[in-house]
Amino acid sequence: MPDFTLLPDQTILLIEIAAALFVSAFLSFIYVALTTILSLLKLRKTTGTDTDNLLVCDVAYFHCKGKRDNQEDSVYISHLEEAYTNGVIAACSDGMGGLLYGEVVSQYVVEKLAEAYPMKFDDQEANAETIRKISTEVYEQYRLGAGATLVMTHIMKNMMNFYSVGDSNIILIRKGRATLLNHKQNYVSLLIRKLAEGGMDTSEAYRNSRAKALIDFVGNIETNVIHTSRPIQLYEDDIIIVSTDGVTDAVSLHRMSNILSADYGAKQLARILKSGVQNKKLPKQDNFSAVVIKMDRSLI
Amino acid sequence: MIEYYTFKHSGESDSYKDEVYLTVVPSVTVAVFYGSAMKTQSKISPMMFSGLLAEVSRDCDFNRMCGVLDERLPGNAEYLVLRIEGNQIASFRRGGVSARIVINGDLRLLPNGIFGLNTGDRILVATNNFYKYLTNEGILADALVTDSCSEWMNLLVRRISDANQLKCGNLSAVTLLVR
Repeated sequence: MPDFTLLPDQTILLIEIAAALFVSAFLSFIYVALTTILSLLKLRKTTGTDTDNLLVCDVAYFHCKGKRDNQEDSVYISHLEEAYTNGVIAACSDGMGGLLYGEVVSQYVVEKLAEAYPMKFDDQEANAETIRKISTEVYEQYRLGAGATLVMTHIMKNMMNFYSVGDSNIILIRKGRATLLNHKQNYVSLLIRKLAEGGMDTSEAYRNSRAKALIDFVGNIETNVIHTSRPIQLYEDDIIIVSTDGVTDAVSLHRMSNILSADYGAKQLARILKSGVQNKKLPKQDNFSAVVIKMDRSLI
Repeated sequence: MIEYYTFKHSGESDSYKDEVYLTVVPSVTVAVFYGSAMKTQSKISPMMFSGLLAEVSRDCDFNRMCGVLDERLPGNAEYLVLRIEGNQIASFRRGGVSARIVINGDLRLLPNGIFGLNTGDRILVATNNFYKYLTNEGILADALVTDSCSEWMNLLVRRISDANQLKCGNLSAVTLLVR
């Protein structure tokens, strides 16, 4: 340790001045550096290039057992480290409760999807064919004795394709409003079409005892895979929920719009949605699973 | 080639007061008249609207046709007229009828004017009462998962039905697809 007491007072004063100047210069440097970084980030937000405008997927999920004996839901999320090259795939499959082996089939479906990864983003028909092939394999194994639903989103570079079989959900929350993107393949669709074409109101369709019966599922013959032929543009703060019907049975789209704010990250959104289902305390709560994706701006 | 599908439903009202007009020769002309929105006693019936359009759409160019409609229809009449010729679409709207077009994975309002069309473009023309129960994201998703205009319309009607069982007053819409 140097002993400054032996130095003349004038020299000590000079050292103190030098130290003060150094500290103020250092603080100024920090201030200028932070200001520059912040203004650069702001500039990227408003006038960025294509690469700068790329959004990233913040992803979270939950996979919960309701009051059923078995967990018949299965979830799949592709490798997020490959998001830039192959996109992000999120899928939920719900084994059909009325049939045997629901949990086996839903698990089989997501395993087959994992095997099919990576999928070509712009070849929607080929991806739909992959799903049809899985369905045919299930059919050949169980001959309509088992089945599952499937909802899948494929997000790449701010665009999204989706695929759906059965009555699970793909929900987009944009500017505080939730929209179910895929239609449920149930009997009520056919009844509505018939009544609407006849110029009648459709209340009778919803009263039909078979209204919710599925008309297509994975495990059916020549399954009709609902899929986008061209992708949907995604925007910052969009929230995408890929879920089984156990979620929407307990939390309506309207309620989702109210409780899921774009201010939260995916993890927090998933936690809120899961609590929303649990708090409903439905006596016959189905298994409930969801992948929640929040579109965020990339800072890298 | 233009594929189209029209939907007209009284929506449990006593009568259907809107009108959907469509001709394909010599060019595709689509018009939707929002008669159910006219609160005061209408001086023009839906049939008169169709008659007037049939009269002026045959020989007139688009601008002149719009001029004649503007001149001869009452001030509170709400309608939209589209004409598709080759790879161009001309649009003119007044009031609560609008057209939305699917472009690059997004849904945009078609303003008044002339615009280019590409194969695969999809357009929805409808009254505000039809749009009221839909979101842009729902309209877009339905457009992108269907191969035909009738399928697209059926999915849209399903959405409205889920909201109100089609007990919501007159519903009028046309889906168009450029083949």
